[in-house]
Amino acid sequence: MFAKEVRSELRARVAVNAIGLFGLTTLVAVAYQIGPYQIHEQDRPHLLAALLWIILFFAALSGLQRVFVKEEDAHTAKTLRLAASPLAVWGGKLAFNVALLAALETFLVPLYCILMRMMVQGILPLIALLAVGCLAMAATATMVAAIIARAAGSGTLFAILAVPLMLPLLVMLIQGTRMAMTSPAWGDILPALQGVGALAGVTVVTSIYLFPVVWHD
Amino acid sequence: MSTVRITFSALGKRFGAHSVLKGVSGELRPGCAMVITGPNGSGKSTLLNLLAGVMRPSSGAIDYRQGETPLPRHLWHTVVGMASSDMAVYEELSALENLHFFARLRGLGRSPGELERLLCELGLEARDLRRPVSTYSSGMKQRVKLAQAVVHEPPVLLLDEPSSNLDERGHETAASLVKRFRPHAALAVATNDPREMAWGDERIHLGQ
Repeated sequence: MFAKEVRSELRARVAVNAIGLFGLTTLVAVAYQIGPYQIHEQDRPHLLAALLWIILFFAALSGLQRVFVKEEDAHTAKTLRLAASPLAVWGGKLAFNVALLAALETFLVPLYCILMRMMVQGILPLIALLAVGCLAMAATATMVAAIIARAAGSGTLFAILAVPLMLPLLVMLIQGTRMAMTSPAWGDILPALQGVGALAGVTVVTSIYLFPVVWHD
Repeated sequence: MSTVRITFSALGKRFGAHSVLKGVSGELRPGCAMVITGPNGSGKSTLLNLLAGVMRPSSGAIDYRQGETPLPRHLWHTVVGMASSDMAVYEELSALENLHFFARLRGLGRSPGELERLLCELGLEARDLRRPVSTYSSGMKQRVKLAQAVVHEPPVLLLDEPSSNLDERGHETAASLVKRFRPHAALAVATNDPREMAWGDERIHLGQ
């Protein structure tokens, strides 16, 4: 399932283009308008961490929601329902969304650090936070995408359902990133890391039970 | 191959206030082809969807038995092959890639040679198998859909207007497919085409 998703995406490039262009445009706009020097030194960790996750969040939303909607639009969802177990479908879609988000982070975060002169004291803790955040965000987006796939006006519904679910996640990710910017110690970032990890775990476990019902009914 | 029998009784399906099916009963058994006929909107495709398990009935019951053992609903898809007009294959993949994907999803280790043979048996030319399905005619797409329906040699085969979009040669291909599955599979064909109606041993007419 994951290999098929990657092959399809490499040929169609719908999600990659949406997510990449949105991320890059927002980043350039932020860097141009605010830049590295428009922020007071004491505000830098708060603002830079928040701006980074806002860019990642909205770029992710523009691409991750397509994962099930495209199956319904192309009439392949029923073919898929008859060929695979729900968990195989969910697992493949989740893995694809994780890979897509990881690629976005790999491309966008270093660029953001360079353009905004963002200094990070705890590079390894930040990488760990980005990895766990990527899983949590992708898991939430995948489940919400499955719920809204068959509804009319799915784009609006996705935002309505995903934003409240992702808000606590975003708050923890911003706090964790701020800590990673100011301190190299794992202990400082640990509460945020644990919180995001717990949310990722809860979302994955809930999805394993909920997805088969959503997918078939 | 193990045999599967499907019994359905008093099946009904409503979409909101609109009732599509009411009190439909019957049995699909190995070696027997059932033809489902009826005017447009009478519920032929809905009945196949209910039997395949991709839709839940509003009333009535469906019972799958593998031998004498009841088969739970979450395993129905493992024994069913289905092709219908509202199902599609991936346009950005080639016919061979599509078939390989659906075979892998079903846990089958079919070699490219086996998949090629199946596609050619259903009337596709070997030179067309590696280009994207988006470049195919509707008849060629229909052949790929039929191939994905039978790639796992299912004991239950549900076909919704299998010759739609197919030319005369394609109709013969579909007929020979039905002939190949008929001895061992439980077969249901939803159609109003007189030539396809002739494939059936039993008939359910909907919309009376």
